[in-house]
Parts: sequence; structure tokens; C-alpha cells
Amino acid sequence: MEEYAREPCPWRIVDDCGGAFTMGAIGGGIFQAIKGFRNSPVGVNHRLRGSLTAIKTRAPQLGGSFAVWGGLFSMIDCSMVRMRGKEDPWNSITSGALTGAILAARNGPVAMVGSAAMGGILLALIEGAGILLTRFASTQFANGPQFSDDPSQLPPAPSPSPFGDYRQYQ
Amino acid sequence: MEGGSNSKGTGLGGLFGTGGVGYSNADLAGVPLTGMSPLSPYLNLDPRYLVQDTDEFILPTGANKTRGRFELAFFTIGGCCMTGAAFGALNGLRLGLKETHNMAWSKPRNVQILNMVTRQGALWANTLGSLALLYSAFGVIIEKTRGAEDDLNTIAAGTLTGMLYKSTGGVRGIARGGIAGLTLTGLYALYNNWEHMKDSIAGQSL
Repeated sequence: MEEYAREPCPWRIVDDCGGAFTMGAIGGGIFQAIKGFRNSPVGVNHRLRGSLTAIKTRAPQLGGSFAVWGGLFSMIDCSMVRMRGKEDPWNSITSGALTGAILAARNGPVAMVGSAAMGGILLALIEGAGILLTRFASTQFANGPQFSDDPSQLPPAPSPSPFGDYRQYQ
Repeated sequence: MEGGSNSKGTGLGGLFGTGGVGYSNADLAGVPLTGMSPLSPYLNLDPRYLVQDTDEFILPTGANKTRGRFELAFFTIGGCCMTGAAFGALNGLRLGLKETHNMAWSKPRNVQILNMVTRQGALWANTLGSLALLYSAFGVIIEKTRGAEDDLNTIAAGTLTGMLYKSTGGVRGIARGGIAGLTLTGLYALYNNWEHMKDSIAGQSL
């Protein structure tokens, strides 16, 4: 995957929905394969058949749940981009929390609060990891001296560069 | 140019009306020209480069001309999922109304219809979404292994998807699924290339 840029806003909803469905279906497929294999009667044939049945019935369902989550999240995200006029991590965190709250709406207010906290914390972790990754990558590619100089070839007192330190720290 | 006294020069150069002149290789100072009679001794370029009917873009290094299947896969899956949800909800509304048409307007009836709508919507969305997932996965695999991207990939991916989706139904099921996938993707490929094909058929009949 080379430089995967996100789609512009209305289409992002479809894109996120599909990505979430893929994640859920593939992850659920692997999980259900193992679970179906273990829960079947003895015999390789039976086990493989049970595994296949479990995948066929449960993996699309899990994918669908993920897709609902992704689509709703992206819809709220896009609405917030439109309303606030900017895209930042707070958008994602808020929409994660709101999505959790909305999807738990039928289980009562306590469940809504818990689900919203889960969603917000999850998205905050993801966004934080993204920011940290960007920082780490930018320090990797700092514009400092690229090769260490041979100490025997250096002048006795290396004078500091007249242009100051090139490296950028964020 | 000379009234076509010599009809030997055919081929692509003949398109430009240079048929009869036939400059020799010595006139062109020994510059070899590929498969054509030249326009003039002073203009030794291949007339193929004068035809401009394709888009010419300058692309950054490493960029592809169009997006590949992988970049479009998530969009395809999401689009299928959402379409399935919409049509499934409509179907659920229809079924729910039909099933409860002799009940009075009441809360149980509304709840029943709503249940039908959500259940059918989820069912259709899951089915179409997993079909699209299989199709995209096959498409990406075929594209990467072949290293080319055309309508053959579409048709092959559709056929394989149909076969895999019906693979638990025995040989007959596999055949039926494969034929269904082949038909649908074949129609899609025809629709996609309709303008191009119409032009080429018209060009042949002229």
C-alpha cells in the first residue's frame, strides 16, 4: 500500500464502511474458523465442515456490525468537518464517542456512557498512535548531517555552522 | 503529391498522401525510419507520433495512470454494503406490510414492520458486502498476478466469486454460481465498453 490518502468527504463514508466491513469479515472469518473447528465433533472432516459453516454464518454478520460502526463514525466525522470547518484528531475522538453512544442507545443511558467512553478512548489511542508515528518518522528523516565524519579528517575544533542547527524538532 | 503515379507506397504513410513519391534511403541520409514512407526528406519523423487520440499525462515517478483495484476495493465493498442495506430495508418494508396487512395500525404492527426492515436490511447488506469482498479480493489477486488490468480481470473475478460463493452446493451449485457471476460481470464489461465498441463496429462497416 503506497501512500494511502483518504477520500474527500462524502465518499469517505462509503470508503470507511467498506474498510470496516473488510476488517470485520476477515477478522471474523479467522476467529470463527478456529472456533468452529474447536466446537465440532471429532474427526477432521467434521471439524472442517463445522469451521466452514461457522465462517459462512458468522463472518458476514460481524462484517456488517463493523460496517455499521465505520459508516456511522464516518458520517459523524464528515458532519463535524463540515460544521467546524477543520479536520483534527478531536473530530475523530468525538465521533468515536458519539458512535458508541448511538449504537448502544437501546441499552439504556449507563450503557451509552460506557460505550461512548470506550469509543472515545479507542479513537484517542488510534489518533495518538498516528501522531506519535508521524513524529517518529519526521525525526528519522531530519536534515542533520547524514554521514558521521571521519574524526581524523576533521579540523581540530569543529566550528558550529553559521546557519545554526539544521535539525527540526517538533 | 505527384498525382499518385506510383501506387507502391501503402501502409501508414499512405494515409498522409505520400503514396507516389517514394524517397530512397539515400535521400534521407541513411536515417532509418520504421515501417512507413516518409513525409519529406526534411521531416523524418514517424507519422504514428502525429496521431493524437489518446490522453497524454505526465505522471510523477512511480504513480500509476489509474487507480488499481486495491484502492477501489474498499469503496466497492462499502458501496455494495450500503446499496444492500437500502434495498434490503425496502424489501423488509414490503414484506412487513404484506405480512401484517390485516392488523390495525398499532404498536405491535409498527414494531413488527420495523423488525422486518432491520432484519432484511442487515441480511442483504451482509450478503452483498461479502460478495463484493470476495469479488475485490479475487480482482486484486488476479491483477497482481497477471500484472495487467482490463475487463478480463473483471469477468474472471466475477466468475470465481460466483463459484466460491456457491461452492457448498455441489457441482451444480458451483456451475450455477459461476454462470451467474460470468453473466453479471460480462454485462457490466459490455456496458463499460459500449461507446468504444460502437465506434469500432461503425468503423469496420464503413
